[in-house]
Amino acid sequence: MRRLREKEWFKTERGYFMPDHREWYKLDLSAIVYPTLQRRDFSSVYRLSVLLKEEVQPQVLQQALDLTLPRFPTYKAAIRKGLFWRYLEPNNRPGPFVRPDVKNPCQPMSFKDNNRYLVRVYYYHNRISLEAHHSLGDGTGGMCVLQTLTAEYLRLLGHTEIQNGGFVLDVNEKPDPGELEDAYVKYANSKICPPRPGEKTYRVRGTKEPFYTLNIIDGITSTSEVLRVAKGYGASITEYFNAVLLYALLKKQEEDRRLRLRPVRIAMPVNLRRFFPSKTLRNFITMIYPGVDPRLGEYTFEEIVSQVHHYMRYYVNDKFLRADITTNAKTQSHPLIRIVPLFIKDFVVRSFYAKVQDHNSSAGLTNMGALQVNESMRPYIERFDICMGQPFSSRTNCAIISFQDVLTINFASSIVEADVERYFFRKLVKDGIHVKIESNRELPAVER
Amino acid sequence: MSYCVNCGVELDATAKNCPLCNTPVLNPKEIKSDSAIPPFATEKAPVEEIQRADFGWLVSMVCLATAVTCGLLNWLAFKQNLWSLAVIGACVVLWVMLVPAVIYHKWLPYFYILMDGAALVVYLYLIARMLDSYRWFMGLGVPLVVCTVAVVELFTLAIRRFPKGILARGLYFFVSLGTLCVSYEVAIDLFRKVPVRLGWSAVVLTICAIVSIAIITTLSRRRLRNEVRRRLHF
Repeated sequence: MRRLREKEWFKTERGYFMPDHREWYKLDLSAIVYPTLQRRDFSSVYRLSVLLKEEVQPQVLQQALDLTLPRFPTYKAAIRKGLFWRYLEPNNRPGPFVRPDVKNPCQPMSFKDNNRYLVRVYYYHNRISLEAHHSLGDGTGGMCVLQTLTAEYLRLLGHTEIQNGGFVLDVNEKPDPGELEDAYVKYANSKICPPRPGEKTYRVRGTKEPFYTLNIIDGITSTSEVLRVAKGYGASITEYFNAVLLYALLKKQEEDRRLRLRPVRIAMPVNLRRFFPSKTLRNFITMIYPGVDPRLGEYTFEEIVSQVHHYMRYYVNDKFLRADITTNAKTQSHPLIRIVPLFIKDFVVRSFYAKVQDHNSSAGLTNMGALQVNESMRPYIERFDICMGQPFSSRTNCAIISFQDVLTINFASSIVEADVERYFFRKLVKDGIHVKIESNRELPAVER
Repeated sequence: MSYCVNCGVELDATAKNCPLCNTPVLNPKEIKSDSAIPPFATEKAPVEEIQRADFGWLVSMVCLATAVTCGLLNWLAFKQNLWSLAVIGACVVLWVMLVPAVIYHKWLPYFYILMDGAALVVYLYLIARMLDSYRWFMGLGVPLVVCTVAVVELFTLAIRRFPKGILARGLYFFVSLGTLCVSYEVAIDLFRKVPVRLGWSAVVLTICAIVSIAIITTLSRRRLRNEVRRRLHF
C-alpha cells in the first residue's frame, strides 16, 4: 500500500499532489476566444526570444526541447473540437522540431500542421525564439517554457551550475496541478459584473501588406534611462509607454484629418498573478483600456501621462480586476450559452470580436516588465525580446520587455506605413532616451 | 554606428534606410561591411498548408457511394426511367466542384472554373439523355454554360491581374454582370429562333453601365477615390 502511495503521489513545495494523468484539458476562459478568431491569414500567436552570448547549436537545442516540453503538459498538447467547446489533449506525436528562424515570424498556426503542436522553436545565430498559440497560455507561461528550455540547453552545453528557480522549472519534477489550473474560475466570484466598454475608437488605416508579412520594428533602450524619464513625469514605465503610444496615436489621428475625431484607447493585458496568487502556466490575464478622448479638447503630453496614471491607479486593483473576470466567466458559464453548438458559438464570438471588441481599442500594448532571471543563468544572456504577434486588424501591437538594463520595445504590424512607430520613437528621442532600431522591413516605410 | 538624421534613433549596422522614416543611411566615413549579421532572419518561410486530403476522401466516397447505389436501384428496383442519371450527374458536379479545389489548391483558378463548366455540361447531357431530348441541351444548355464560364474566367482574370481595390472589383463585377445578361438573352433568342433583340437584359445593362461609369469617374479622381475607400473600408 505504501509503495502504491509513493508511486501515485508526488511532493512539491506546496505539499503532496496526485500526478496529472488527465487525458484532456478544458480551455481556460481566455483560451476559448483565440481559436475562434483563427483565419487562414491570422492566428493568435506570440513570440518570446532570448539572445544568448554565443551561437546557438541546433542539435543541442533539439535535445533540450525534447527534455523540456514533457514538463509542460498544456504546451505538449493539441487542440481538438468538441460539440460545444474546444479542448486540449496530450500530443505524443514526434516533435516539435527546432528550425532556422524566418523573416516572417508569428505565422498563422494551423491546428493540424506541425504534428498538431501549437509551439514552434526557432534559432538564429545567438537567438532562441519560442512561438506559442495563445490558447495554450499567456506570456508568463511562455516565458517559463523559454527559460526552462534555455536552462536545459545551457546545461547540455556543460554549464552545469545553472539552477532551477524563478521561471526555470525542474524538468525532472512532475507538473504541479496548480500550473495546469484554470485560475479564472477560482477568482471569478465578484458580486457585480461591470459592463464591457463598447465605444468605437480611432482605427489606424494603412495599406495592407501582402499575405503573409509581419513588419517588426524593435527599439532597444536603457531601462535606467526610461525609468529616469518616466519618474520625471511622475509615472511608472508602463504608464509612460502607454502615454507615449497614446500621444503617437493622437498625432496620427490629427494627421489623418478626419472629419470626426474618435477616442484613442489602448488594449493592455494585465497579469492577474500579481493580484491573485496562482502558479498557473495557462492564460491568466485580463484587458484594461487606458485612453484619452480628443473630442474633449487638446491634450498635452503631461496631461496624457496624468490621465493614464490615474486610470491605472483606479482600475488596476484586485477589486476591479475580479469584477472584470467575473463578467467574462458569467458569460461562459451561462447555461444557454453552454448548450449552443460550437460552430454557432464560433460565428457569434467572431462577429462580436470583429464588430465590437476589436473596435474597442486603437492599438495593443503589453509590458512583461523587468524579467527575473536565475542568477546562475544571467551571465549567458544578452537580452530578451517579445513580439505580441500579428494584430487581428490593420493596427499595430506594441510589446515591451526588459532584462537588467536592456529594455526592448517591439512593434508588430501588417501595414506598410510606420507612422505610429515613428511618432512613438521620436517622442522617446525627444525625451532624451537613446533608442537603437532594428527591423525586418524589406521595403522601406513610407513617410507621408 | 549610424543615426537617422530625421528621427534621431541609432540604426542597426546593416540598415540601408531608417525603418521609421525611410531616410537612406549615408555615412561616407563608415565602410559597410557585408559580414555584419542582420538582426532578423532573411529567409521568408512559406505559410504551412492545411492538409484537407481526408475531407477530399470523405466527399469522394460519399459521392461515389450515392452514385453507385442510385445506379443499382435504378437498374434493379425502380426501372421506370433513367432517373439515376440526374443523381449521378449531381454527384459528378459536386465532386468536381469540391474535391480538386480541396486537394490540389495550387492549381490556377481558371482551370477549376473550366472543370466546373465541363461538369455542368456533363450534368445537363445526362438530364437530356434521361429525358431523351437533346435540342434544348445543344441549343440552350451548352451556350449558357459556355457564356457563364467565359464571363467568370474574364472576371477572375481581371481580379487577379488588374487593380484589386474594392472599387475596381465592383467595376469588374458590374461589367461582367451586364455582359452575362446580354449573352443570356442573345442565346435564348437564338434558341427560340426569333430575331435577336435586347429586352430585359438592356435594362440590366443600362444599370450596370451607369454604376460602372460612376465607378470609373470615382477611380479617376484621386480625392474622391480616397474618400470612398475610407468610408467603405472593411
